[in-house]
Amino acid sequence: MKAFAYLSPTTPEDAVKALAAPGTVEALSGGTDLIGRMKDYVASPERVVYLKDVKALAGIVEKDGATAIGAGTRLVDLVSSATIRDRLPALWQATTEVGTPQIRNMATVGGNLLQRPRCWYYRNGFGLLAMKDGKSLVRAGDNRYHAIFMTDGDALFVNPSSLAVPLIALGATATILGPGGERTVPVEQLYRVPKADADREQTLAPGELLAAVTVPAGVGKNASYEVRQKQAHDWPLVMTSVHLKMDGDSVREARVVLYGVAPIPWRSEAAEKAVVGGLVTRERAEAVAKAAAEGAKPLSNNGYKVALVRTTVKRALLSAVGDRYWQEG
Amino acid sequence: MAKWPANPRVINTRVTRLDGLAKASGRAKYPSDERPEGLLFGVVLYSPHAHAKVKSIDASAAEKMPGVKAVHLIVKPGATLRYQGDDIAAVAAETEEQARDAARAIKVEYEVLPHVVTERQSTAEGAPKAFAAGNSRPGRAQTAGKPDEAMKGADATIEATYELPVITHVCLEPHGLTAEWKGPDSITVYASTQSVMGVANDMVETFGVDASKVKVLTEVMGGGFGSKFNADVWGIAAAKLAKEAGRPVRMFLDRAQEHLIGGNRPSAKATIQLGATKDGKLVAMTAETSGTGGRGGSNFPLPYVYHVPDRTRSHTEVFVNCGGSRAMRAPGHPQGCAVMEAAMDDLAHKLGINPLEFRLKNLAETDMVAGGINRTEIYHEQVRRGAELIGWGRWKPRGQGGDGPVKRGLGMALHQWGGGGAQDKQVACIVNPDGSVELRSATQDIGTGARTILAIIAAEVFGLEVGRIRSNIGDSTFPPGQSSGGSTTSPSMAPPCFDAAVKARDELFRRIAPGLEAAVEDLALKDGQVLVKGEARLTWEQACRKLGMMPINVVGVFAQGLSSTGVGGCQFAEVTVDVETGVVRLKKIVAVQDTGLILDMLTWRSQVYGGVIGGLNYGLFEERIMDEPTGVMLNPDMEMYKLAGATDIPEIVVEAHDTPEMRARGVIGVGEPPTISTAAAIGNAVANAIGVRVPKWPMSPMNVLDALAAAEGKA
Repeated sequence: MKAFAYLSPTTPEDAVKALAAPGTVEALSGGTDLIGRMKDYVASPERVVYLKDVKALAGIVEKDGATAIGAGTRLVDLVSSATIRDRLPALWQATTEVGTPQIRNMATVGGNLLQRPRCWYYRNGFGLLAMKDGKSLVRAGDNRYHAIFMTDGDALFVNPSSLAVPLIALGATATILGPGGERTVPVEQLYRVPKADADREQTLAPGELLAAVTVPAGVGKNASYEVRQKQAHDWPLVMTSVHLKMDGDSVREARVVLYGVAPIPWRSEAAEKAVVGGLVTRERAEAVAKAAAEGAKPLSNNGYKVALVRTTVKRALLSAVGDRYWQEG
Repeated sequence: MAKWPANPRVINTRVTRLDGLAKASGRAKYPSDERPEGLLFGVVLYSPHAHAKVKSIDASAAEKMPGVKAVHLIVKPGATLRYQGDDIAAVAAETEEQARDAARAIKVEYEVLPHVVTERQSTAEGAPKAFAAGNSRPGRAQTAGKPDEAMKGADATIEATYELPVITHVCLEPHGLTAEWKGPDSITVYASTQSVMGVANDMVETFGVDASKVKVLTEVMGGGFGSKFNADVWGIAAAKLAKEAGRPVRMFLDRAQEHLIGGNRPSAKATIQLGATKDGKLVAMTAETSGTGGRGGSNFPLPYVYHVPDRTRSHTEVFVNCGGSRAMRAPGHPQGCAVMEAAMDDLAHKLGINPLEFRLKNLAETDMVAGGINRTEIYHEQVRRGAELIGWGRWKPRGQGGDGPVKRGLGMALHQWGGGGAQDKQVACIVNPDGSVELRSATQDIGTGARTILAIIAAEVFGLEVGRIRSNIGDSTFPPGQSSGGSTTSPSMAPPCFDAAVKARDELFRRIAPGLEAAVEDLALKDGQVLVKGEARLTWEQACRKLGMMPINVVGVFAQGLSSTGVGGCQFAEVTVDVETGVVRLKKIVAVQDTGLILDMLTWRSQVYGGVIGGLNYGLFEERIMDEPTGVMLNPDMEMYKLAGATDIPEIVVEAHDTPEMRARGVIGVGEPPTISTAAAIGNAVANAIGVRVPKWPMSPMNVLDALAAAEGKA
């Protein structure tokens, strides 16, 4: 491992200063991503800024109906929060399944949102886009866990954050501190599709620090549904989070966001459009699910994910209105 | 013929593993925990390429790095590297981190050569010739009777292709050893091995030191499953580095190396045609099979268990630029079992016969194993018992797994194994004047309970508590013991252990009888007492004190009649499969097994649990994923190389086929048989649940959904 400078600031201001210093810098929180990347020489920062001593970054605060979650809040604290469980089940369900108890005891909300892709080409040192001689290794190789949307481009990994998906569905914003002060953006704007290996798939500028995410007041029905191979310690294959604002039994406004299908958390506008203006029945959920899968262009090995898009969209929608048909009988 | 005690007090009961508490509490010191004074850490630099020639190696920069004490080049310029992970050079440094950095600082110039890393890639049209003798080697067909003619007479036939991937051993403790020279010609090695004698022999042969100056120690170890019989290239490198540096060197592989070079179970692919009469009697089988073990063999038994009168089968070895296979718990059998049992189930479905009945109909009339046992009769009893325990009465034909998306299914499979032992091993038994008892042998406990069962045998003979016996194994300087492989440890070691204990007891009797004014034949041992004509006269300690300054020290050897070979078993699986997600969940597994006389019910059951858990990983999760474009393994970790966690493991019902007839056979090993049929039973349960055969293991959502989509496409 390359030798690095280690800083452990205790205030957000000092953290920003530490992150903004010149050279390659990585923020360290739970360490469940960064340490592995450093041991594997995928990341070799000159400076590591430890954020867990910045106590102001941790905690869940309710205010005027909104829920602010500090980026330093541990996943275990989200899972044990009654507010999150009752008001934001989409987020709670996605969090309870992350990693293992050990990982949830260490990992933080900010770390989950800003972890680097788990693409096995990237993790094996072939670069973020895994291009070799102008050709995509992902396309030619084993892409069973890769994207099925936006596959005309070169970024074929999937965004690894389980929490980004429900947070985007819930319309959460991200509070970012930087050398120039504070700014607030929708969580989905934390991500972008990189065009080159040197690009980051995240939008934070050097020196910027994710401080908190805030779910605004007026949350409607929401739920997540995840498909994973193993019950213990596994990544979702595909997950969908939905957020439905209702007029009576009819959907007035909807967000449908998917994990595991694109290099960014994937908002399915087709599904959102299809679900608005009616009841969430099994038939309509089926139709919405079909709409969500339209336009998918799977790679050579991951056609099965199209079925998982349909299933997770359908089940997340029905789960939001209390219908768990797959548990019957 | 020697005989085990007719009414044992300890043998065949539930005895807690002697080192269980130490292991569970973390006090047990594993070979990789050893830190002798002055220890250096060793790291191997290995090939990042699947196939390359080494043009040059320059270790000068590495040698000068901080903490580096020795560098050893394993290969010379010009050498060919045949897979990712192939060893190039080794470094020893003060810390593991320094050693890693130094290994990376060794400059190697490669001429990268074309590679083939999957069976598909190796056998594709126009594939690069990666092996001088060709990328594959077809075997000659093995034929009995006239299969083509017989097949024409079949009322029903199926033809299908089944595939199982390469899987790796994933020992929790990695391969490796710590080598410590005790002078220029004397070496002590702390090895994580299944064979202390094998590692000692490797040291003798490599370094030319006297066998009497080599000591290999394996107090406990963290799993081998067939992959840890030798010192290996890295172990020899550690000893060389230690010699050069004049300090002990610890060399254990990291997790990626474990997957790449620590051994694996070869893949299997089988295209099988199987035919039967309408009343369910097999008539013929033709099978074309293949597999890859890297550069090694991949053959497996087929047909398996069942009697097919007319048959032909040919096996093609496919070679790939990947780390070589090694023996893995019941080599070959899980593959043969999975493809045979899948074909059996598919044919039973086509015939409309209950697959349990179909199986029983097609066992050989007589299948004689050692001791005059007809295994077919044993299978009948085991299947009846297993069916009761899983509730086979609930079995329904395929496609009737339920109305909702989550379908329920039952599956089963049969297996067999040898499990006999060697007849040339020894155990020393020492009875000291203070009453302490020690057993010594150069065998080792690889987690099976070998230490405990030896103590049980001695405790039985001496009428003592098991905890009173010091079972001292895992030392190559002790009397020759068995390597732990092939389920042979117990049947090899139990007879000489019994012989040693009996000899020691008899000598004790001879020496104390005169003082008791009793005849030797009137003496007996029970509950820590010496009995004369049935009456307690001395405690064990008082008796031993009469030995004065002269302990008893005897060596036991093999005796006929105490061990045997040839076992059968069957397993049943109940699963649910969500046809909208492809996710398979295990609900219950039943494992019925015979292995002769069971010495310790607890460690025996523990082995069956472990075997089933290994088998369910094979059934549901494990797969070595090689990348064709780059030639590297994509999942050399324990994250994307998937293994069950606690919540993935269902209720496992272990049923010992433990009858007077079985006990009379003597000891047979149980390490391997219970891992054989689990993946097969799971595959059949999945097919039963969803009405479609998933032809590729593991039963992952991808493979299940792909099979469902293929079936829909056909319909």
